[in-house]
Amino acid sequence: MPDYKLTYFNGKGTAELVRLVFAAGGIVYEDVRLQQDQWPELKPKTPMGQVPILEVEGTMLCQSNSIARYVAKLAGLAGKTPLDQARVDMIMDGMEDLGKKGHGVYWEKDEEKKAEKKKDYEETFLPQFYTCMNKLVGDSGHFVGNELTLADITFFNMTTLVGNYMKLPNVDEFSGLKKVMDHVTSNPGIAKWLKERPETPF
Amino acid sequence: MPSYKLYYFHGRGRAEPARLMLAAAGLPYEDIRLEYEQWPEYKPKMPMGQAPVLEVDGTMICQSVAIARFVAKESGRAGKTNIEQAWADMMADGFVDMLNKMADYVWYEEDEARKAEKKKTFFDTTLPEFLGYFEKLLVANNGGGGFFVGDGLTHAEAFFLCLSDDIIAEKPNVLSPYPKLAALVERIKTYPGIKEWLAKRPQTPF
Repeated sequence: MPDYKLTYFNGKGTAELVRLVFAAGGIVYEDVRLQQDQWPELKPKTPMGQVPILEVEGTMLCQSNSIARYVAKLAGLAGKTPLDQARVDMIMDGMEDLGKKGHGVYWEKDEEKKAEKKKDYEETFLPQFYTCMNKLVGDSGHFVGNELTLADITFFNMTTLVGNYMKLPNVDEFSGLKKVMDHVTSNPGIAKWLKERPETPF
Repeated sequence: MPSYKLYYFHGRGRAEPARLMLAAAGLPYEDIRLEYEQWPEYKPKMPMGQAPVLEVDGTMICQSVAIARFVAKESGRAGKTNIEQAWADMMADGFVDMLNKMADYVWYEEDEARKAEKKKTFFDTTLPEFLGYFEKLLVANNGGGGFFVGDGLTHAEAFFLCLSDDIIAEKPNVLSPYPKLAALVERIKTYPGIKEWLAKRPQTPF
């Protein structure tokens, strides 16, 4: 029985970052995918009524980014010094902002407002964001230090997920970000996971 | 000792958790409060064009939670083991989720009717649900008479104090159904360093 049990729905969503970090670290874990009818019974047992949760060391962790950071530490992917770790964390949080904003557009109920928000997101926000993030990539082609970290993985994951329903800028036009993406997709553990992971609606 | 410069505006807002952890640590820092007219000059210098930013010997860290966690680590107040750190992080994330929901109707909703509706949903439904979780999680740590994580204050407490300040301002008895959380607020307010900061910090609208 692996020491780590991740529970989420049958999709990428907010659990996929954790799965990618497990993959990059070559850490074996149980990847539990709930059916919708199993959720009501589990919900009250979770720390904050949400998934993903990670069962580890006799306890239950929640909050996807906190779980991802915990696993990244196990895998040596969280940043080497406190300052590096803070830089990793800030990139993660920045990507979270991008995802939340995209989510806000996706879930806008007013059709006219949605079209307006989508246009602004795709034509103004994303290009500015990519330009800003590109400046934060080091000469190594990583956001922090000379090796893969959670920051690189988060950029890959969040842009890939948002790219499912928004038009992303062309990463080939951002040399730093292109290097980050290449580093992530060529990581052996991640490459294997990307080939093997289930096809899911979200 | 590193030099710390914290850039934000004239308010508690997203910078206050970091200020609380700096106070708890007794770390001196430059508490830079920018006027809005100064912002266009500073914005391009910030990593993501936003504040707060913490400058540590010239390295800039943005994103309020990343900053607070870093400052917490500087004085060993971010959790002592991997699992404690994850617990502190998850509690802070829970509080930030609530703070973000408030920010959504306070700052980002312009329609007055929608604003009132969101606020009502927050106070009637969302917040009670999560305060219930938070109380239970506090109790799970040795009965809830101490702190959220282990046996000491962490950045979880800093975010919780900021949340409780905001919700209590709106609804003074909001924590009465949650006695352990209410008692913890008082423990945070009297924590060495934080107590002094609370007495001297500028009084600001946000």
